[in-house]
Amino acid sequence: MIYRLRHATTYEYAEPVVLGTHFMHLLPRDRPGQFIREAQLDIFPVPDNRRNEIDHFGNFTTTVSLTNPHKQFKVELNATVDVIQPAPPAPGLTPAFEQIVAAALRRADVAEFCLPSPLAAPGPDIAAYGRLSFAEGQPVLAGLLDLNLRIFKDMTYKSGVTNTGTTAAQALKTKMGVCQDYAHLMIACLRAVGLPARYVSGYLRTLPPAGEVKRRGADQSHAWVSAWIGDVGGWVDFDPTNNLMVSDEHVTLAWGRDFQDVSPLRGIILGGGRHSLRVNVDLDPVLT
Amino acid sequence: MQVGGASDEMIDRSGRLRTPWVPVMEAFRGIGPEEMARRAAALNRQVRLAAPFGAVAGHRYDPLPAPLTASEFSVLEAGVQQRAHLLNTLLEDIYGRQSVLHDGLIPPALVFGKAHFLRGMHTGAPLTTPRLSLYAADIIRGADGRFQVLRDHTGIIPGLGHALTLRRLAATTVPELFRAGGLRSLRPAREMLVDHLQRESQGGLIAVLSAGISSQAQALDMMDDALLARALGVLLVEPGDLAARGGALHVKTLSGLLHVATLIRGLSGIELDPLEQGGRVAAGIPGAFGAVRAGVLNMLNAPGTALLEDPEFAAFLEPLFGRLLGASALLPAASGEPLAVASRAPFINGLTGGGLASSPLFFRLYAWHDGKGWQVLPGGLAFGMDGQGAASGMKDIWVLDADEPQFFSGVPAHEPPERVAFLPAAHLPSRVADNLFWLGRSVERLESAARLLMLALPRLESGTSLPRDVAERALIARCLAQARLLPADLASGAISGRFLRQTLARRKPMAGLMKEVSRLLHASSERLSPNMLSTVQFALNQAADALAPNEETALPAILGFAATFAGIAAENMSRDGGWLFLEMGRRLERGETLAESLAILLDAPPERMEPGLALGIELADSVLSYDLRYAGILSPGPVLAMLLADPGNPRSLGFQCTALRWSLERLGADDDAESARLLQHEAAALAGRAAELSTPLATVAARLRLLSDRVQRRFFTLLPEAHQLEDEEEVVAAAK
Repeated sequence: MIYRLRHATTYEYAEPVVLGTHFMHLLPRDRPGQFIREAQLDIFPVPDNRRNEIDHFGNFTTTVSLTNPHKQFKVELNATVDVIQPAPPAPGLTPAFEQIVAAALRRADVAEFCLPSPLAAPGPDIAAYGRLSFAEGQPVLAGLLDLNLRIFKDMTYKSGVTNTGTTAAQALKTKMGVCQDYAHLMIACLRAVGLPARYVSGYLRTLPPAGEVKRRGADQSHAWVSAWIGDVGGWVDFDPTNNLMVSDEHVTLAWGRDFQDVSPLRGIILGGGRHSLRVNVDLDPVLT
Repeated sequence: MQVGGASDEMIDRSGRLRTPWVPVMEAFRGIGPEEMARRAAALNRQVRLAAPFGAVAGHRYDPLPAPLTASEFSVLEAGVQQRAHLLNTLLEDIYGRQSVLHDGLIPPALVFGKAHFLRGMHTGAPLTTPRLSLYAADIIRGADGRFQVLRDHTGIIPGLGHALTLRRLAATTVPELFRAGGLRSLRPAREMLVDHLQRESQGGLIAVLSAGISSQAQALDMMDDALLARALGVLLVEPGDLAARGGALHVKTLSGLLHVATLIRGLSGIELDPLEQGGRVAAGIPGAFGAVRAGVLNMLNAPGTALLEDPEFAAFLEPLFGRLLGASALLPAASGEPLAVASRAPFINGLTGGGLASSPLFFRLYAWHDGKGWQVLPGGLAFGMDGQGAASGMKDIWVLDADEPQFFSGVPAHEPPERVAFLPAAHLPSRVADNLFWLGRSVERLESAARLLMLALPRLESGTSLPRDVAERALIARCLAQARLLPADLASGAISGRFLRQTLARRKPMAGLMKEVSRLLHASSERLSPNMLSTVQFALNQAADALAPNEETALPAILGFAATFAGIAAENMSRDGGWLFLEMGRRLERGETLAESLAILLDAPPERMEPGLALGIELADSVLSYDLRYAGILSPGPVLAMLLADPGNPRSLGFQCTALRWSLERLGADDDAESARLLQHEAAALAGRAAELSTPLATVAARLRLLSDRVQRRFFTLLPEAHQLEDEEEVVAAAK
């Protein structure tokens, strides 16, 4: 599947911002099953300094600084992305999760994701909850699918009750939140049993309600979980918010240990007063 | 003198004094134990005075050095160089290709599970300078006489400021020790370090980045940072002094933003860059990581280097010498309980009045990368360890060259004078100017309060009911309320001396003012010379001691402090950047107080103005001048001329305005200088009026307050405070 992606973020300030520095994770990365044909990040006003770098996780970052007073700050991503997700193996045939736990410790690039991170750290409650999906000898993919389903069922989707600093433990307590909280909870559960899991930010294709025309800009940023199922299976993605295994309807932007590692846009500004934020996302298949 | 299995630094196995200790103990015997204890106390005072941040708990500075022979030092030197090289190689790998992790030489959790592993510093290509550029190793001499590494310092390098300062101070307190020849000087090493930093900085500023004095726990670090900045002749800055512009860092100074090329980091890398790491904006430097990665900022050491200080690394280092350097470790890691195996050395025992007490000790050696290789400071610090193994006494490490004569007569071999690079006054950080301004104000406020109380207490005591005395007491009460020495609602004419004393005892206003002076004195001390600081501090301490019985008895000592401070500021400070702010603070405060007091004292019809005039003359400390000039006959014209207009009276309103104008002109603040000129004219015009003075004087005071606000806005709030733009982009699931 080939997608055209547009993601526009606009800040409107009540007072001029005299100085702004922004650090962004807004350029999509390649990964097995995803190939970026082209991607461009346009910034208005044009920054007087811009750095494109690759971070610890291999994500693209962009740092800009703006020194001319401005009342609007706009970042727009336009990209064309190929997504070809291979079919997952049969769950029952995947190795027992204990084997994956042991194998992960030997792989430096994987082991990092077994460790707790600020927003996805396993505590006793999380460990107890997560273990229910991983009985002794449980094939890893079967356990992952079970956990994915349980989180989907046990959590209630509700925006406004959590924020970007909400931890997995808090999400488990209230059983409410948005995709970020679903993802953090699942990641923390996997880490509790010793399995490597990472946080993926990106986009999900949406379909308009039957009989309606899709509105422009109505798609949204999304977040889900990537879990490692061994040297053979590699990383497999799960979307607990929608009880899905990720196939070709998700476009990956970046990944890290949790949201903090891939926060799309951080900024330090001088001035500005009150501000408003507008986000528009369009993810459309390109007909070939 | 054998203690358990440990060896002794001073005495060898056969019980003989080791060669490098011969001249040291020779000098010690010559001086005598009691005198030596006094010298040790003097050295401790000296260090505290040389350091800007007052007394430091926990550390004793021991004047007896820890001497090493040249051959001992060369063993240490080679070992430290090799270890620094290994640690840098390891850091470059961990923050780069990570082959040590992929090859399984280090378990991933040792890196990825540590808060000091800063993911933001993991880069595809190396930085422009080594990540580890400054290094210190704590080393003990084990029971077998071999040196062993106790721990590494790879993040913030503690004590380098002390290491570069202690000898110079010891040389002035115990010159007898320095008669021995062959002592290797620190000066060439220090100058090489400075030259290297300057070359790397290519014209940009070099600064020591300190956490600031916000927390008492950081007092020692702050002192060390300040000593280091002074020893290297570079700026001392705090996070709030720095701002990122166009991807590079700048320090906010009175002459605007100046590019900073090199920072010696005295601040943890965790939460250093709020832009990438989140956290409080004011506690860090937004954009610092990006600047380091881009090579426009050189940080010693790069953020994230403290990772290797984690004790869990120690077990993995030994095999890495072979794997990464292809050699075995020249210095082994310490094994066993350091307190039991470390060699011992004598320290001056301050408690028992002068004997020597033996403590286990460790040597801290310092090294830096000069672009080609590692240089080791031929000196450093040796620390005594207390029962818990924590550092207690601090000594200077000496390296003695054997081929030099051990004694020579004639001129003592003092350290040559410090060479400190010139720092232009315009580089004054805005924060320092701000502190000096308020220091000027607070000393003046303290002085005028003391003066008012000196005048008020005896007068309130004499309880006659003559109308003149009653009127005088009423005026004094209003002045006391204006100066906030009495609560405004209690300042009726009926107050007595006893009541004022009780209020002073309860509210302790003078103690409060002194505390503020002391705080600002410490905060500004990086711009005051050690001598100046010691004199002022001494006077301030005397005044503080005098406060103990009650505030009244302390008044003469407080006035003594104010006079000392004024004299020092007038005679010992050059009339540039820093002084101008001290001066403006003082003049604004004095002008405001005078105008406010006179507005109260002269608030009467001309026929009843006499008590107010008398008090005004006395408050302005102008009784003698007035008596000499006018034979003591009070009349409004001459009094007003002396208090308002007289350009030769340093306590007249006109004098304050003239001084303000001059300072503002020097700083290029022409419009504010013009305001000061107009105020000066106003003061002169008021002197010619015989009545209705109260309201215009209150207006003058208000205009001085406005001018003060403008000065602050102009010079100190160069930048408003930045804030975090919350990442509010709600991550929401797409409805499926």
